[in-house]
Amino acid sequence: MVRYTVRRLLQAVPLVFGAAVVTWILIHAAPGDPIVALAGEDGDAGYYAMMRERFGLDRPLHEQLFVYLGRLAQGDLGFSYRQNRSAVSVILDQLPATLLLMVPALAVASVIGISVGTLAAARKNSALDNTARTATLLGHAVPVFWLSQVLLLLFALRFDWFPVQGRSDARAGYEGFRALLDVGHHMVLPIAALVTVYVPPIMRVTRAAVIENLDEMYIRAARARGQSRRRVLIRHALPNAMLPIVTVIGSQIGFMFAGSVLVETVFAWPGLGRLLLSAILARDFAIITAMLLMLSVTIILMNLITDLVYSLLDPRVRHGT
Amino acid sequence: MRRLRLIGAILALALLAASCGDDGSDEPVSQPAEPAAEGPSAEPETAAEEPAEEPAPAAEPEPAAEPETAAEEPADEEPAAESEPAAEEPAAEDPRRGGTLVIALSDDPGHFNPGITTGFNVHAVTGSIFNGLVELDDNANPHPDLAESWDVSDDSTQYTFHLAQGVRWHDGEPLTSADVKFTFENVLLDYHSRTRGGLSGILESIDTPDATTVVFNFTQPYAALLQRLNSTEAPILPKHIYEGVDDVQTADANLTPVGTGPFKLESYDIDNEITLVRNDDYFKAGLPYLDRVVMRVIPDQNTQVLALEEGEVDYIWRVPGGDIERLGSDDSITLHNINSGPGGGFCIPTLTFNSDREVFSDLRVRQAIAHAVNRDQLVAQVLFGQGRVATGPINSQMAFAYSDDVTSYPYDVDRATALLDEAGYASGGTRFSIDLLVFSFGVFPKYAEVMRQNLAEVGIDVVVTPLDRSAFIPRVFGERDFDTNIISYCNNTDPSIGVARMYISSNIGDIPFSNGAAYINPAIDVLFDEAASTPDVARRGELYAEIQRILTAELPYLWLVETQFTAGSGANVQGLQANSGHVAETAYFEE
Amino acid sequence: MAREGRAAEPVTLRERAASGPGPGRPRGSDPAGARAARGSWRRFASSPVAVVGLVLTVLFVLVAALTSVIAPTDPFSFAGTPFEPPSAKHWLGTDDLGRDVGAGVVHGARTSLFVGVAVAGASLVIGTVVGGVAGFAGGKVDDLLMRLTELSQVLPRFFLALTVVALFGPGLTNMVLVLALTSWELTARVSRSGVLAVRELEYVTAAEALGSSPWRNLRTHVLPNTIAPVVALASLQVGGAILIEASLSFLGLGDPNVISWGYMLNNAQSFVRRAWWMSVFPGLAIAVAVLGVNLLGDALNDFWNPRSRSGGASA
Repeated sequence: MVRYTVRRLLQAVPLVFGAAVVTWILIHAAPGDPIVALAGEDGDAGYYAMMRERFGLDRPLHEQLFVYLGRLAQGDLGFSYRQNRSAVSVILDQLPATLLLMVPALAVASVIGISVGTLAAARKNSALDNTARTATLLGHAVPVFWLSQVLLLLFALRFDWFPVQGRSDARAGYEGFRALLDVGHHMVLPIAALVTVYVPPIMRVTRAAVIENLDEMYIRAARARGQSRRRVLIRHALPNAMLPIVTVIGSQIGFMFAGSVLVETVFAWPGLGRLLLSAILARDFAIITAMLLMLSVTIILMNLITDLVYSLLDPRVRHGT
Repeated sequence: MRRLRLIGAILALALLAASCGDDGSDEPVSQPAEPAAEGPSAEPETAAEEPAEEPAPAAEPEPAAEPETAAEEPADEEPAAESEPAAEEPAAEDPRRGGTLVIALSDDPGHFNPGITTGFNVHAVTGSIFNGLVELDDNANPHPDLAESWDVSDDSTQYTFHLAQGVRWHDGEPLTSADVKFTFENVLLDYHSRTRGGLSGILESIDTPDATTVVFNFTQPYAALLQRLNSTEAPILPKHIYEGVDDVQTADANLTPVGTGPFKLESYDIDNEITLVRNDDYFKAGLPYLDRVVMRVIPDQNTQVLALEEGEVDYIWRVPGGDIERLGSDDSITLHNINSGPGGGFCIPTLTFNSDREVFSDLRVRQAIAHAVNRDQLVAQVLFGQGRVATGPINSQMAFAYSDDVTSYPYDVDRATALLDEAGYASGGTRFSIDLLVFSFGVFPKYAEVMRQNLAEVGIDVVVTPLDRSAFIPRVFGERDFDTNIISYCNNTDPSIGVARMYISSNIGDIPFSNGAAYINPAIDVLFDEAASTPDVARRGELYAEIQRILTAELPYLWLVETQFTAGSGANVQGLQANSGHVAETAYFEE
Repeated sequence: MAREGRAAEPVTLRERAASGPGPGRPRGSDPAGARAARGSWRRFASSPVAVVGLVLTVLFVLVAALTSVIAPTDPFSFAGTPFEPPSAKHWLGTDDLGRDVGAGVVHGARTSLFVGVAVAGASLVIGTVVGGVAGFAGGKVDDLLMRLTELSQVLPRFFLALTVVALFGPGLTNMVLVLALTSWELTARVSRSGVLAVRELEYVTAAEALGSSPWRNLRTHVLPNTIAPVVALASLQVGGAILIEASLSFLGLGDPNVISWGYMLNNAQSFVRRAWWMSVFPGLAIAVAVLGVNLLGDALNDFWNPRSRSGGASA
C-alpha cells in the first residue's frame, strides 16, 4: 500500500510540471503586455522599457520559463507585481470566499442528489424516477449564469427578499452574530443557483451506481436470504454506491469551480472567479498561472485520493494497468 | 434633475469652505482663493468654477482660457448642475455629520500609491486619502487644495506655490515644501506616466525657499501646469515615509497610505472592500462630514446600477447610457453630468485610419466612411443621448480653441457610395474588408457594431476585434497591426496636452495614445508648436481654428462623438464632487 | 491507473467501462454487433427520453440548417426601432439597436451547433487516434500517450478556455481548439481499451495467424467495436461545449462578428429591467438545445456504453 502510494505520488510529479509548462506557455505566448496594465495610461517608451527590465520581462521567453520552473521546483508559484505579494498568498486570501459558496452548495446538493438518486434507483422508471431525471437534465441544460440572473431579478429585485450583490452589507458594518446572519443573507441566492448545477451529476451518478449495485449478485443473495428490499438498499447498495459518488464530487471539482466563477460574477461575490478575471485583464501572469496550476494540482490530488481509496477496497487496482 | 443644481451649490460651498482655509492674504496675482466664494452669487452660469473676473489678463494665458470654456459649457446639454443662482443656500446650514458613504468601484486597486500609476481605481480611492497642490473643478479651473495660493511669472516659466498652514499627515507629521519637492523628483517624474510625460523634459528645477513655499522653474513657457497639479495628476506623498525606501513601486507603504486627505485608510479587504475613516485633523476646517467611506468592489456596471437602485451603494462613478433614462426618473437617485473625472475629460471617441494601409491613402475612402457612419445613431442608441456628434478634433466644450468652421460629413449613404465608386472600389457586394479594433469594455464594442452595419450598407466589410487594454495598446501603437480602431481621446484641459499628441509627426511610434494614424503634415506640426507657446488666447484660438480646418479636410481620423460622463448617487447624499477624486470630501447625508 | 476524474465530463464508473481489468467487456462479435444495431433502434425508440432527445436535437439541427429560410435577414441588421417588445412583426422583440431577437435566436442555433459539433468531432478524432495508436503500439508509445492523456485530463478545461480566449482574443476557432484539446481524454481511454479487448479475442489472433493485414483487422474487427461507444461519448461533449461557449460569451469573451446565444445574453445584461425578451429567449434556446443533445447523448450512451454513465455536461 505504501509502495503504491509512493509510486502514484511520484507519477504525479511530472504531471504537475507538465501542466505547469502547458499553462505557462499558453499564457506567455498570448499577445498583451502586463506593463500596460501596471503602468496605467500614457506611459512613454522609455518608461515601458524601464518597467520591463525591472520585472524581468525583457528576457527571452524560454529563459523566463526556466526561471519559472526553477522557482516552481522550490514551491514558489510566482510573484504578483500588481498585488505586490506572492501569487499563492493572493489566491489563498480569496479561496475562503469561494469555498463559502461552494462547500454549503455542495453539501446541500449532496443531500438532495444522494437521497433523490437513491429513491429514484429503488423505483426505477417510476413517476418519481422520471420526474427526477427530467428535472436533473433540465438543471443540466440551463446556463447557470442565466439562472442566476433570473433568481436575482425575481428574488432580489422583484420581491426584494435578498441583496443584489456582495458578501455583506457595506454600510451597516455589523459585528458578531448579526454579521454572520448578514453574510448568510447574502449567500442564499448564489448558493441556490449553485445547488441547481451541482445536484444533477450527483443525482445521476447515485442513481446509476445504486441500480448497478442492486443488480449485483450479493444483493440478490441477500434478498434470497429474505431481507427486505428496503433493508438491502440501505445496508448494502447505498454504502457501495458511496464510492462512485465521492469520485464524482472529487472529479467534478473543476466543473464546480467553473460554476462558482459564473455565479460569483453575477452576484458580484468577491472570490476566485473575480480574482482570475481581473488578473487576466491586468495580465497578472503570476496569478493566472498559479491559479490554473493550483486547479490542476487539485484535480490530480482528487484523482490520487480516489485511486487510493479504491485500491484499499479493491486490490486488483494496485496490480492492474 | 433639480438636485443637480443643489450639487452644484454644495460644490461651490465646499470650495468656499476650502478657500476659507487660507487667509486670503498674499500677493496672488492670478488665481487667488476667493473666486470660488464669488462663484455662486456672481456667476449664475456655473456655480462653482467661475473665477468670474477674468483673472489678471496677460499674466498667464492658461487660466484665462479655461474659464471661458466653463462659461459656454452647459448650454446645449442638460442645463445640469448650474443655473440656479443663489438658491444654493440650503447648504448654508451646517450639513449633517456622520454616516457611511458606500461607493462602488469596478476593480480592486491593488495598492494605494497614487504617485506611481494613473489607474482609475487607485485614484478613485486615493483621491480621498491624498491631496494635490490644487483641485480642479469640472471645467478644469484650479482651486486651492494643499496650495492656498500661487503666483505665475509673466512668461509662464516660474510658478510659486504657498502651502496651506498647519497641514499634517495622517501620522501627525507636518507637511512641508520638502514633501512636494520629494514627491515630484523621486516619484511622479519617474513613475506617474502622465506627469512624467508632460513635465520631465521641461521642468528645470523645484526650489523650496522655505517650509511652505515651492517654486517650479521651467525651461520654456508652460501654460498648462495648474491643470496638472490636482490629486489625480500630482498627489503629494509623505517624504518621511518614502525617503530611503528601496523601491517606491513595491514599498510596503503603498498598502498603508499616509496622506493629508479627508479620510484615512481603516481596512483593506482585497477584491471586496476598502474602508476609509474620517481624518479628524483634516486641514480644511469642519470637513469631512462623513464618518466613513466604504469602497465596494463591484466589477459589473449593471450590478452597480442595481445596487444603487436598491440602496446598497450610494455612489457609482459611471451610469451606463441605457440606464440613464430610468434612473433619471427615479426620485431616489441623483444623476451628475460631468465633463471629466479621474482619468480624463472632454473626450472624443475617434476612429483612427491607419495611414500605412493602401486603402486609406485615398482621401475619398476616408470621406466615404465618414459619410457612411451614422453618428446620430451612435449618440441616440449607444450613448442614449449623453453626448453629441463631434465636428472635429477639438471638443466643442473647449470654447477658446473650438471652431465650427470645418468640413463636415453628415450621414449620407449615397454620397458615400459615390465616393467609393469614384475611388475605384467596384460596387455590388463587398468592396473591401477592414478590421476594427476596439476596447472590449464599456460601449466601445457597441460603437463598432453600429458602424459595422453602417459600413456594410455601402459595401465595406468590417471585422470587429475587441481587445482588452493590455492587448490593444501594444498592437495599435507598437505593432501598428490594424486597419482602423476606436479610442476615446480626451482633450484633457488643453489642446496642447490632449489634442496635439494625435497629430504631430514626432509622436508616432510605440507610445500609448499617440499619433496612431501615423499622420504626417509639417504644416500641422508647426501650427501646434506655435499654439502651445503663444501666450495670447485669441491668437491661440485662431491657430487651433486653422488646425481644425486642415484636419477635418484631410481627415486622418474620424471624430465620432463627444461624450459626457454621468455619475449616479442616492438622492439623500449631497455635496459630492463628482468630477474629482475628492468625491467624498464635502459629501454628507441629508437629514 | 484509471478513474482520474474529469472536470465536467462523463465521469463516473468509467474506470470500469474504460479500462477495467476484470471482465472487461468487449462488445460482442461482429455479426452480433450488426444485429444489435438493428435491434437497437427498437429499444431506442421505446425510451421516451431518447425520443424527446431525438426530437429536440432534430429540431435544433433543422433550425440551424434552415436559418436562411426561417430568418432570411441578417441578425445584425437594424430591423426595427430599439426595444420593441414581442409583436407580430418581431416575434421575439428587438434589442437595443433595433435588431430582431428572433433572427438572432435562429442564427445563434447555427453558431451553437457548430461549436458543439466541432468540439465533439475534434475530440473524437484526437481521442480515437491517440487511444487507437496507444492500444495497438503498446509499450513505450502506449505509456507516453497515456501520460499525455492524463495531462489533458488534469488541465482545468473551463478555466483554460477562458484564459486562452481572453488572452488570444475572442473567436470561435480559439474556443473550439481549446475545448477540443481538453476533451478527448475519455474517448482515448475507451478506444484504447476497445482495441486492447478486441486484440485479445481469439478470433483476431486467429485472423492474424491466417495472415490478414493489421489494417484489415482494424477495419473489420476493431473499429466496429469501438466506434459506437466513442461516438456516444462524443455526443455528450456537444451540450457541454455549447454551454461553455455561452458562458464565455456571457463574460464578454464572445466573438462579436458571429451572432450567438451567449453574445445575445451578454448584450441583454445591460437591459434586463428594460427588455426582458432580450435575455429570456436566448436563454431558453440554450436550455432547449442543450437538453435535447444531452438527452440524445444519454440515450446513445445507455446503449453503447451501458456502464459508463455520464456525469453530464458542464457549465
